[in-house]
Amino acid sequence: MSPMWGSTAQYEVIHWSWAIAVYLFLAGISAGSIIVALLVKWNRHERSNSSIWDAMIKSGTLVAPVSILAGLFLLVADLGRPLSFYWLLIRFNPLSVMSLGVLFLLIYTPIVLVFTLLVFERTIVKYTWLLPLGSFIEWVKSLHSYAKTIEYFLMAAALCVGSYTGFLLSALYAIPLWNSPVLPIVFLTSSISSGIAVNILIGLVFFKSTINTESIKYLLVLDLRVIMTELPLLGIFFVGLFYGGGEVSSVAKAALSHGGLALVFWLGVIGIGLLLPLATVILALRSHVYRVRYILTNATAVLLGVLLLRYYIIYAGQIYLG
Amino acid sequence: MQGSLRALEPSILKGEDKWVRSVCEICSSRCAIEVRVVDQKPVWLQGNAFDTRMHSSICARGLSGVSQLYDQDRLRTPLMRVGQRGENRWREASWDEALAFVASSMQRLKQNYGAQSMLFSSKTGESFDLLSSFAANYGSPNTFSHWSSCPIAIESALEQTFGERAYRDFEHADYIVNFGHNLFEGLDIPLSKAMARFAANPSKKLIVLDPRFSIMAGKADEWYPIKAGQDLAFVLSLLHVWLRDAKYDHAFVRRYCIGLDALKASLKETTPQWQERYTGIDAKTIERLADEIYRAAPRCILDWGHKATTSPAEFQRTRAILIANVLMGNVEKKGGIYFAKTPEMLNALIQEPLFPLLQSPYPTPEVGIARIDGAGEEGSAYRFVPKKHGVLNAIADAILTQQPYAIKGWFLTRHNPLVTVADPQKMRTAMASLDLIVVNDIYMSDTAMMADVVLPEATYLERDESIHLHHGLVPSYTMRNRALTPLHRTRSLHEIVRSLADALGFSHAYSWKTMQELRAYQAKGNSALLESLVKRGYVQATIPHLFLREEASVRAFCERYAHVELRHVLEMFERRRKTPSGKIELFCAHIEKAFEGYGVPCAVDMDVQQNYPYTLISGKSAIHTNGHTQNVPYLHALMPDNPLWMHPSTAKAHGLRQNDTCYIENEIGKEKVKVFLTEGIRPDTLFLYMGFGRQTPLLPKIDRKGSSASKLLSLKTAPVCGAMITNTGVRIVRA
Amino acid sequence: MAKAYRLIFDENLCIGCQACNVACRLENDVPEGVYRLQVHVTTQGVFPHLGMHFERRSCVMCDEPPCVSVCPTGASFQSKDGLVHIHESQCITCKYCILACPYHARFINPLKNVVEKCTFCFDSRLSKALDPACVSVCTTEALRFGDVSQENSAVAMLSRKETLLFPKAHLGTKPKVCFIPARKGVKV
Ligand code: SF4
Ligand code: SF4
Ligand code: SF4
Repeated sequence: MSPMWGSTAQYEVIHWSWAIAVYLFLAGISAGSIIVALLVKWNRHERSNSSIWDAMIKSGTLVAPVSILAGLFLLVADLGRPLSFYWLLIRFNPLSVMSLGVLFLLIYTPIVLVFTLLVFERTIVKYTWLLPLGSFIEWVKSLHSYAKTIEYFLMAAALCVGSYTGFLLSALYAIPLWNSPVLPIVFLTSSISSGIAVNILIGLVFFKSTINTESIKYLLVLDLRVIMTELPLLGIFFVGLFYGGGEVSSVAKAALSHGGLALVFWLGVIGIGLLLPLATVILALRSHVYRVRYILTNATAVLLGVLLLRYYIIYAGQIYLG
Repeated sequence: MQGSLRALEPSILKGEDKWVRSVCEICSSRCAIEVRVVDQKPVWLQGNAFDTRMHSSICARGLSGVSQLYDQDRLRTPLMRVGQRGENRWREASWDEALAFVASSMQRLKQNYGAQSMLFSSKTGESFDLLSSFAANYGSPNTFSHWSSCPIAIESALEQTFGERAYRDFEHADYIVNFGHNLFEGLDIPLSKAMARFAANPSKKLIVLDPRFSIMAGKADEWYPIKAGQDLAFVLSLLHVWLRDAKYDHAFVRRYCIGLDALKASLKETTPQWQERYTGIDAKTIERLADEIYRAAPRCILDWGHKATTSPAEFQRTRAILIANVLMGNVEKKGGIYFAKTPEMLNALIQEPLFPLLQSPYPTPEVGIARIDGAGEEGSAYRFVPKKHGVLNAIADAILTQQPYAIKGWFLTRHNPLVTVADPQKMRTAMASLDLIVVNDIYMSDTAMMADVVLPEATYLERDESIHLHHGLVPSYTMRNRALTPLHRTRSLHEIVRSLADALGFSHAYSWKTMQELRAYQAKGNSALLESLVKRGYVQATIPHLFLREEASVRAFCERYAHVELRHVLEMFERRRKTPSGKIELFCAHIEKAFEGYGVPCAVDMDVQQNYPYTLISGKSAIHTNGHTQNVPYLHALMPDNPLWMHPSTAKAHGLRQNDTCYIENEIGKEKVKVFLTEGIRPDTLFLYMGFGRQTPLLPKIDRKGSSASKLLSLKTAPVCGAMITNTGVRIVRA
Repeated sequence: MAKAYRLIFDENLCIGCQACNVACRLENDVPEGVYRLQVHVTTQGVFPHLGMHFERRSCVMCDEPPCVSVCPTGASFQSKDGLVHIHESQCITCKYCILACPYHARFINPLKNVVEKCTFCFDSRLSKALDPACVSVCTTEALRFGDVSQENSAVAMLSRKETLLFPKAHLGTKPKVCFIPARKGVKV
């Protein structure tokens, strides 16, 4: 039968576009960078004041609020009716991962901001034009005594934000590519790896810090570990889909073998995001050449890879529906 | 308009809310409908349940009546040509001016060339009856209906065989053989619904022969992709097997038919083996089917279809099918075929005027002049074609040669021959040479583009019309009631004809001025009938169904009407038939005399492919009506064009892929097509839905979208019946 | 008493005529270019061994509707009769429900910019005890609608007589729309 039931364009619409992919990326960076910053703070900070570690903490505390705010802006802007977003705040559906996400973000964002203020408190008071906020800053200062508690809460909230983006997608059994229990783990892991990358990048570029061979080596090994976790996770993710049977496995096959999206995955996510840094790390560790350039290249490649992973998953999920 | 009908009037859901019962006209099935009208605006349409077969069912086209009504592209005001004919330059005119121009031009033609120089055409139905009457009173014999482009082979085969129309009782049949009668795309709700129930019933059997895997074929128990136009070969071999094995209703044939010996003689050679090379169906299958079908008789129907234009042998094909029914003895049997029980017959039988008799409000005096096509004239090739309906394919040549006499004008009512008649290229040239073309239509059709005057017509939802009597097992009456007054400056054909009749000086021919007067005249003052038709749109008395050769049915009838004697009912079937012999004619002597080889079914004129590699066939869809609905917004959105169905192996042979463009051509024309690949068609056959490939610059949505099969059809007609032939040989040419 | 609505689509009767599709547009003022309902007809198999498949595509009114559970604002909700509806004013058009629906039944109304889908014609018809528009016009009466908890309803009787298939039943959505699969033609 030649089709005579009208346009089928509505079934092919990409409802969640690049904006959502970028939002997921930004939320992941935010959570990842703060998690990494906190871990560094708790484990390494005490040693040196002007080390790369200190820079990473500063970077994390700066990147986290900026990226989450940018992400939230994108998220609201991408709504079909952005001005009605307040319904998100006055309604809560405990079954909806999106509602949960809103809850997490409502908790996470203020804590991140407070944490940032705490860390940058001395810098802030330098700016006289901020004086009218004096009493607010006083209040923040008073929080110093709760610093540790706030950090624990922040860690918990960041973990929630970092994993909810994965659950947001994996909760949809209508979309075979998303409906995998492994997806949230993949997302959380890659969030952390993007957090490491962005902290290193921003830390090295914007915060003057000394870096020694030991630190470089440490960071390269860290990269290696993260990549060696992500690669098998992606493997498990797709193997899981392949063995999902019927529709699911054909969808996975199509998503990995058809058109431009497969290219994004193989070249972008795997090639640039994982194999390139892996090669650099192995090369550096083998030849014992520890250059800052390697770390910078790796961080950029990792970030690109993580962004492309979000992009790939968002689009491939909606295109290959089986 | 963004699909938003009600957005036109936000207050529409408040206020007056009523139902108007009427008759659909978006296709020629004319189903009974009801329209929900809120504040004078139709907002909803559905089947009229007073016709119990309808329930509330209606098809996509019927529902789109509202979409057509509010279509922004409708004609709104009379238009008069200012440029060359067909140049598409117009000016708006008042009705007075436009009608005065038409009247004076017709008057002038009559004076200079005689009234016969005007042609009149319309699809059958109320507008055709009215237009025929108008033509006759004006003095022209040249009226044309759509018959010769559609059902004429069936009508004439029925006439020649039975002397009257026959009907099919799908509902009670157990076995149906369908020859491409695509009731699931060419919809007629009561019939389509009965057929759907039949097909869905696992204890019934449906055989479909069609070169294309149509929806009908999709519902069949067995589908045979018969070679296009070769139904006749199939039926001839079926008849051969039955006659060979003496499988036929001997008593029935002996008593009611003539010509069995001629039939036997004619079918000696048409064995199952013989037909293989024509139909592509193997002999064993024919033997099995012949046996199965005969065993299912008489609750078995070989369905002759609705439109019969598949090959030059169309008259023979249809006669062969009718005769197969006759040999099964299914005539006037439940689940077989039957003749109309007319109001006169039934009233006489039950001695009670249960069924009102109508008188025609459209007097059609005999015009003593031969028609341009010779239809109905002794000695003419079209002597067996009804005078009223004519042969559309004969028009172009008659105009171009001005034979047999001067032809100068044409009045067309919602008729679009440039889309629905063969060889529109030639027709266009012929039209260009006329002095006067008047078109009344809803849209600026291809044909309207060629007119001098275009009269905007009110759609069926805006028109009151006369009473129609429908024949069948029980007569029924329908009447079109308008749901709203005409939009824009549109008018009905009744108003147009009435004004022109006044202007042309024969207003005395019509005893009515308004529709109320017309209806009252027609109903002979039967106000009860009129009242219930205004209220219900459909009226049918409930009496038991009467199959004259079905004893149980006759008994049930006599029980209901105790004073009716069984004998009287049974005798009704014994009456003389309206054929020359007074019997059912297996052999028609007078046809044989005029057309040698056509008196009895035999293998003649079966070739449609004409040495071309492919046969192009065409057909209806459930979304559009021929060339009429392509612009209706709702329907256009569902089906904006008509790609050419092609088997993948055919496409491969020509290096074509899905959606490629190529041409199909033959000696008549060449048409651009878009390829649609499907397993659902014979590799040697190509298929197009009808009604596309238009030239309508004022309807930009449909202008030059899709392809027209008509452009490849020859003006040659089928012998005896004068039918247009819509299967033709073509070759594929790459773009 | 809560209703147990059911809509049965008999593939044996459906002829793909799209009357239901157009009726839905007319009744619900569905804008051009989008559809609450389509019937897709597909030919399967290899010439000449072919089958034809008729698939009715619309919201199936899940008893366990994923579209409702994912909606963050409660704009998508389930009535006490189990029907799934959308409060237009509360819909922020986050499109989560569109993605969550395994039947691809939801779309954005381009005029209102809110999510829309089949409502069983609740406001204009069902609440007035009228059959949905698509059901009442169906050319061949292939669609049956009613309350299965009512012993004598047409749907209850049909449900007892026929083997019903529920689309994507394995997902546990428990649709209220189900079909009677074709008995004739090639099975592919
Ligand atoms: S109206 Fe009925 S027959 Fe036509 S497509 Fe819809 S369900 Fe099928
Ligand atoms: S079919 Fe889709 S839109 Fe309808 S109730 Fe189920 S999930 Fe919701
Ligand atoms: S029930 Fe109403 S809204 Fe739903 S598909 Fe049928 S006509 Fe459309």
